[in-house]
Amino acid sequence: MMWSRALAGVLPGFFLSAALTGLVSWSWPGPWQATVVPAITAFFPVWMIVMGSSFLFTTGKRAWAWLGAAALVGMGALWALQAMAWIR
Amino acid sequence: MKLKSSTLRTFTTLHTWVGLVAGFALFVAFYAGAITVFHHELQLWQSPHAAGRPQETLADAQRLLDETLQRHPEARRHVGMLFPGEESPHSIIYWQDQEAVWRFATLDDLQGSEKPPQAALSELVNALHYSLGIPIAGTYLMGIVSLLYGIALFSGLVIHLPRLVQDLFALRPGRNLKRFWQDAHNVVGVLSLPMHLMFAITGAMLCLVLVTMMVLNPLIYRDGLMAALPAAFDTAPIRPATQEAVRPGTLAMWHARSVEVALQQGQQSFEPAYLKLANAGDRNAVVEVTGESPGALGPLGAVALDANTGALLRTQLPGARDANHATLASAYALHFGEYGNAWVKALYFLMGVGGAFLFYSGNLLWVESRRKRRQQQQGRAQVNLARATVGVCIGLCVAVSTAFVAAQCFEWLAQRREVDVASAIGWTCFATWGLCLLWSSLRTPVRAARELLWLAAVATALVPLAHGFATGWWFWKSAAAGQWGLFCIDAGALAMACGFAALARATARRAVTGEPNSVWSS
Repeated sequence: MMWSRALAGVLPGFFLSAALTGLVSWSWPGPWQATVVPAITAFFPVWMIVMGSSFLFTTGKRAWAWLGAAALVGMGALWALQAMAWIR
Repeated sequence: MKLKSSTLRTFTTLHTWVGLVAGFALFVAFYAGAITVFHHELQLWQSPHAAGRPQETLADAQRLLDETLQRHPEARRHVGMLFPGEESPHSIIYWQDQEAVWRFATLDDLQGSEKPPQAALSELVNALHYSLGIPIAGTYLMGIVSLLYGIALFSGLVIHLPRLVQDLFALRPGRNLKRFWQDAHNVVGVLSLPMHLMFAITGAMLCLVLVTMMVLNPLIYRDGLMAALPAAFDTAPIRPATQEAVRPGTLAMWHARSVEVALQQGQQSFEPAYLKLANAGDRNAVVEVTGESPGALGPLGAVALDANTGALLRTQLPGARDANHATLASAYALHFGEYGNAWVKALYFLMGVGGAFLFYSGNLLWVESRRKRRQQQQGRAQVNLARATVGVCIGLCVAVSTAFVAAQCFEWLAQRREVDVASAIGWTCFATWGLCLLWSSLRTPVRAARELLWLAAVATALVPLAHGFATGWWFWKSAAAGQWGLFCIDAGALAMACGFAALARATARRAVTGEPNSVWSS
């Protein structure tokens, strides 16, 4: 049970953290290139917190479902906004 | 804040297991890292004659640069070198050869070698710090350990948060040993939490930044990351070589110009530390001088100049740099303790040893909380964890001190016959560590702990002796000559030896007079 939640934090959690980092760094005023180092630095604590928080779910299934859905929504939003050039 | 008891239990389990798995590696990282704070001093300490020799001048460094560019054409594309100064009195130049292997040269060794000169001991301790001494895979392993470390901090904070303030100043010695170790673990953990958070984040970043960037590049940067990196990491713009030879500028000119530019841009002072030179001798040659402006959190700033004319191209100086350079300089300085004065380094050393204690106490806590109070025979897991803790942690202390002694012995021998000092020190260190592990696996934990602690005390006390005998730099002589780096290492070793002896005595006393029915009672 611990393992399933841990994996949820590692796999979908990685994509969720990437999406969050990407959304903030691309929506930040100015081009994303200007904040690339702070963004990559911030990615690590974000991922650590997501991995830790995955244990707040009561079961592994729930953790996978919520984190997976959040990752999909986050990545989808990032890619859509990037494709429409709303954020840069 | 109130947590559900099931959540609390989950996080306690998480903290325990992540802590146990990562704790061993983190003990090594912290103990070796505390010593690595003094890597410049360590290089001076290892070289037999460096301390007495006068500091090189810019003219000496110029000769090294000219000779290197002439002898090694591949260095013309890109070369780096240290300005001779207080931290490194003797200039070192480095470049990548045709196979992209780094080579290091000095005025004593113009041909260059693949290992930086007289840095074997500091390199070994540094390698233990960032990779446990395991080539290539070790760095990624330590990156994963850093992530686990972050999760351990997060879960530890969640468990402890409800009682954080009440328990902060509580250290309850007495009959309940578990309570005592728990209090000690909590108070050290909470007080040093900012430092631990910083190390978990910067450590993960330093180890994993390359792989992470490769994965994030298609995910969130639309494959544009690699093109953005030079501007984010370097100061000098990339200018392609023109193949037109031009009379190059001199080190003295770059030194003077960079200081002039930095002062013009409002820096209080600027001490050039190292430079990067691209396309040496070409019309488009560019030099980037990195120097220190004391008083900033990220004290290293850079000035990029046209290497031939000295014309200013770009700067990234404290207080006037972009977010990328400010983050990089601060993260680097925070991790390595390279800001402020000598007291910051001393503090980092103490925090490093304190951090090592935190992981050690975590393991002790695990053993103590599973102690069978009514029988002498303890569980297999408890005995084995106690053995592993003693073998890995105390064994490492023995091995590092032995490597220090070996460095002096082999340097002494190397002046008389052919010796590969670097691998000899490495072998001594890992063989000693292996023997300590073997020893602790054969003895009862309490005996192994007592014996290895005494061994650590003896080996560490031998460090200043070996240095004195091999080089004549006894620590009172170093102090009298103002060689405070050498003095600090020798005096520090003596203090550590006393510490190990005190721990050995405490362990022996606990075995006899402490509570019976424990892995630590005899």
